[in-house]
Amino acid sequence: MAGSAVRRLLAEYKQLTLNPPEGIIAGPIDEDNFFEWEALITGPEGTCFEGGVFPAKLIFPRDYPLSPPKMQFTCEMFHPNIYSDGRVCISILHAPGDDPMGYESSAERWSPVQSVEKILLSVVSMLAEPNDESGANVDAAKMWRENRDEFNKIAERIVRRTLGIPA
Amino acid sequence: MPLSRFDRVPLPNLKTYTFLSVLALSGCVYFAKEAIKDPDWNIQDKVQHQNSRQRDETFNISSANDTSDSERSLKQWVSDMSAVMTREPICVWVLINMAICWLILVGRCIQRMVFGDLRVSEHQHLKDKFWNFVFYKFIFVFGVINVQYVEEVLLWCSWFALLGFLQLIAQLAKDRFEYLSFSASTPIWSHVKLMGLLTGIFVISSFMLLVAIFVGYFIGFNTFAFMSAEVILLSIRTLHVILRYGLHLYDIRTEDASGVNPTSPSGSEKVWEKRGPITYYTELVFELSALSIDFLHHIHMLLWSNIFLSMASLVICMQLRYLFQEMQRRIKKHRNYLWVRNHLEQNYPMASSEELSENSDNCAICWENMDCARKLPCGHLFHNTCLQSWLEQDTSCPTCRFALSIQNPSSSRMDAPPHDLQQDNQQPIRRELNHFFHFDGSRYVSWLPSFFVEVRPPQLMRTSDVQNSQLDAMGRQVQQLFPNLPLSTIVDDLRNTRSVEVTIENVLDGRLVAPSIFHERNDHASSPSSSTVLPQSSVPSPSAPSSSSSTRWEAANPVETEDNVAGRFSKSPEERERILHKRMEHLIQTARKRYIDKQHSSTETHS
Ligand SMILES: [Zn+2]
Ligand SMILES: [Zn+2]
Repeated sequence: MAGSAVRRLLAEYKQLTLNPPEGIIAGPIDEDNFFEWEALITGPEGTCFEGGVFPAKLIFPRDYPLSPPKMQFTCEMFHPNIYSDGRVCISILHAPGDDPMGYESSAERWSPVQSVEKILLSVVSMLAEPNDESGANVDAAKMWRENRDEFNKIAERIVRRTLGIPA
Repeated sequence: MPLSRFDRVPLPNLKTYTFLSVLALSGCVYFAKEAIKDPDWNIQDKVQHQNSRQRDETFNISSANDTSDSERSLKQWVSDMSAVMTREPICVWVLINMAICWLILVGRCIQRMVFGDLRVSEHQHLKDKFWNFVFYKFIFVFGVINVQYVEEVLLWCSWFALLGFLQLIAQLAKDRFEYLSFSASTPIWSHVKLMGLLTGIFVISSFMLLVAIFVGYFIGFNTFAFMSAEVILLSIRTLHVILRYGLHLYDIRTEDASGVNPTSPSGSEKVWEKRGPITYYTELVFELSALSIDFLHHIHMLLWSNIFLSMASLVICMQLRYLFQEMQRRIKKHRNYLWVRNHLEQNYPMASSEELSENSDNCAICWENMDCARKLPCGHLFHNTCLQSWLEQDTSCPTCRFALSIQNPSSSRMDAPPHDLQQDNQQPIRRELNHFFHFDGSRYVSWLPSFFVEVRPPQLMRTSDVQNSQLDAMGRQVQQLFPNLPLSTIVDDLRNTRSVEVTIENVLDGRLVAPSIFHERNDHASSPSSSTVLPQSSVPSPSAPSSSSSTRWEAANPVETEDNVAGRFSKSPEERERILHKRMEHLIQTARKRYIDKQHSSTETHS
């Protein structure tokens, strides 16, 4: 039922507001639709995405938290685990049933004990350490493996763009 | 823009349509008036007119004796006019058109008053529903009952027009209710208006049912069945939405109450536990009855249309097939529900009050307080209803992924994606083997994520529930001595040793080590090996800026801006939205500033 989903989302929103993890903000941008959130994620320090603030959209299903939300970056991204349209491909966002890549164990996948906060922190760690086995963006995965300098340059450009700083 | 033009042409805007309809009607009225002026207008149909006249007179005598001459003539005039207009086919069509126009105007008024502007999806939904309805009723009128007379067609059409109108409004109300249920904050009066509309639809549809019974009493059972089927469906669906809506409002209300006083929802908690099955069964009854009535209605139509190979029966057969599959799906889902419920009740006891008081956490599924809970063999507690809905789609503990020995009757997972079903049937062993250690990082530091590590050799997996709970009890014994060891690690060792003493020895000798994650958490210097591990250093910490220049900036910008917005969760949605917006702006500005400063400092050091 949507009622219990709203209650849980409200609780998560409250927790994320009162006790926010560093560099992460998330919440429903328009409370008329509590099932669509916007999030800002700061690129982890010491990585090529350092300093950038990446906006993303989270779409929750009606039976949340039984099913995972969908997450999509709304800025340009270049990362082995992010599709070119911004959709994020990490195991925590996959329902236990589906396994698009066929390599994940069900333990890493979605379960109701996960939360928005845990998803966003997983995404931060994904930014820090791409998993180049999952080929959401094959070009990015290849470049990450073979030409790290070029990858860093692109990441740098994206970071600048998210901050609105001309290159 | 040929497309938009095409969109516009078949549907002229309402103003012109109303204007044209009124114009046509007044034309007809004028025509009728002119016709009456001619004294010989009723010569062709004297008998009929005489009849009506006689009826008029008897009516007048019986009713009262104070009818004045002018009133009488007005009545005469009206009856003459209508006689002319119903005789002339063009006028009849104009009248019908006018009626439709009225219906549309009324619909528009309701939309303005209750719904305001329609959302795009609602609009689309409405359009689909409308054409669908027109299509099916066309098939019904001309393909199934195969009407012969224009009057019959007109009667059926007006009946269906009214019904379709109500159905569209009901659909709109349902869509809007679902939309409103997405929102955490809706002004109460919009609920009231929507609820009022739904009740109105329900009342009108009940009235229409009475009309159908009345008509059926005189004409016959088949007509009654055809007329009433859709009406009953409409009232069932409307009632269903009303009930769901009421429940939703109740939910929202309890949420508000618990928001004010979060520590004492003991009364509502009990209701919540009982509420689950009640909601479920109401849903089930409503869905199944709607489906079966629809099904019977279609069968009735199929039998009635005696030409079995007509286009109409083909369409009906397709619809029948769909309805049948829906019913099957629903029943399978229900069997799964029953199965899971029985399994829960037979295998997992309710937690005792000591266990509940020991466990201070909320239910991990809904994040709400637990006053009564069910306990899984791994020791995790959940609300009964929460656990039930999770286990209907998965067979492991949500917290630790402990695989429960739920082997559903193979057919009962139709609602899950088909490949999931296949997987379950083909690889039951693989599923059982997925025992993992779970580290819930947020229990220690709020921002630490959770990870899972496989800790057991696969050949030791097949244990029954009884054994599991024994192991669990033993594990808790050991854990009392070594509270910083995770329970699952201990249980895993116990599975090998089968003895508390040996396991304790193992721990003391250092043979039983906590999974690697624990070391990583304690030892920051070692770089994490698993990709799901979040390196602590990776989270930027604006509170401890690395460069001096950024501190300068923090001083220049009043720090209050962040204090103002952070650490507060407003009760009003508007304020929450504003604060969220502000915080986001602030984060971007800070990051931008820091980036520029860093760039400056790095160029300075380079030069
Ligand atoms: Zn719960
Ligand atoms: Zn568990």
